[in-house]
Amino acid sequence: MIPACPLSALPRGEAVRLDTDPPIAVFHTEDGELYAVDDTCTHQDASLADGWLEGCEVECPLHASRFDLRTGQVDAPPAKLPVRTHGVVVEDGMVHVVPSELPPNLPPGLRTPGRA
Amino acid sequence: MTTNSLPPSVIATLPGHYYTDETVFTLEQSRIFERMWVCAVRAADLDKPGAFRTVRIGRESVLVTRSKDGSVRAFLNVCRHRGARICTEESGQVRRAFQCPYHAWTYDLDGKLIAAPNLTKMPDIDRVEFGLVKVHVREWLGYVWVCLADEPEPFEDEVQAQVVSRLGDLGSIHNYGMEDLALAKRVVYDVRANWKLIIENFMECYHCATIHPELTEVLPEFAEGLATQLYVGHGAEFGADVQGFTVDGSPGAERIPGVAESQDRRYYGLTVKPLTFINLVPDHVILHRIFPVAIDQTVVECDWLFRQDVVDGGRDLSASIELFHRVNVQDFDACERCQPAMGSRAYARGGVLVPTEHHIGGFHEWVLERLGTD
Repeated sequence: MIPACPLSALPRGEAVRLDTDPPIAVFHTEDGELYAVDDTCTHQDASLADGWLEGCEVECPLHASRFDLRTGQVDAPPAKLPVRTHGVVVEDGMVHVVPSELPPNLPPGLRTPGRA
Repeated sequence: MTTNSLPPSVIATLPGHYYTDETVFTLEQSRIFERMWVCAVRAADLDKPGAFRTVRIGRESVLVTRSKDGSVRAFLNVCRHRGARICTEESGQVRRAFQCPYHAWTYDLDGKLIAAPNLTKMPDIDRVEFGLVKVHVREWLGYVWVCLADEPEPFEDEVQAQVVSRLGDLGSIHNYGMEDLALAKRVVYDVRANWKLIIENFMECYHCATIHPELTEVLPEFAEGLATQLYVGHGAEFGADVQGFTVDGSPGAERIPGVAESQDRRYYGLTVKPLTFINLVPDHVILHRIFPVAIDQTVVECDWLFRQDVVDGGRDLSASIELFHRVNVQDFDACERCQPAMGSRAYARGGVLVPTEHHIGGFHEWVLERLGTD
């Protein structure tokens, strides 16, 4: 488990970006749900934590592809691949991420280590 | 004839090259339009967050918008990355951000850089520092005024003081409740003349009896050629048999509620330097925003504002609007008649101002003073 931040430091409607490799974004929805996905859009290197959270979806701030935070699925191009989803656990007021063991879907240019 | 030999009745205008010389216009852009408060956008045209207008002020394109908290913001319309124009439309609506169409640098409605490709790989890029360049804004009279100077003169000293010097106080213009009026008509005039010709024309009434037959019917004292702007607090009185400020003297619309008895049946014209005219009559306000685009071309946007209930009621306002539309066309035709002659040998040293125009000399001194300062 990776500690993310105290729950009190992540208000509803906000996101936090973890400097993991690859980076992970944790979202706190307006309904009070917590979700974690890879922070990087699968189309181009953009931070989804900087995007717009609406319900259980986040819209990439650059080209408006929307990802379902529950499944990682994308609604429309330019992104074509889903983002990887991660587990979230809150313990003693602390948000933790349980990283996925699946391979990430990083955009071109970030797929080869050293070329990021 | 030289300036020194002019007979006492007349004073000199600016020499012709002030209306034709590109270097003069560049100086006017940098030392007048890009330094002073300019009336840019009608506030109600920015009806919700993300609504925007682009206006040309001096050499700059300025993006005027409304942020999420409802306040007005203005920015230079230039991407901080490689300088692409962010918004090319004259008006529009974004949902929540301005995005450069070139590399997708994305700015929120407060101008802050919020996203860009690979931005997280550049943690040293400060998102405020690399936000859109802010332009000073002020809302007054239902309009957004912008100032491109780094350190603007106080709005009160530069703009409001001009209104006070014309009307005697600010209360007199606030009586018209301009921020609550509704837009009944907007006409955009593309005038092939230098902006100063348009200002000078508005400042005098020596021409009124010749080119404004309808206006002088409604305001008989205009036929005397005296500029009403000369007298503090004076408004030109409607003719005895005139019922309203209309093209045929027919009744106008319902009076604006705050207009005082002393302001009823009177016309007040104001020049707010550098680029705004305000015309007050009991039932409406006509406001001109002037956008100099070239030494010999000026775009004038003219708004006719009436009470909200009058506009909503759908009544026919054409007789009211037609009067000043006709005045505008008559005036701008006169300015376009002068512009081609500004480069003539006959006008190299300029022309003359007759006594009822002498106050235009003050405008010329003001221009020269602005151009001489850096």
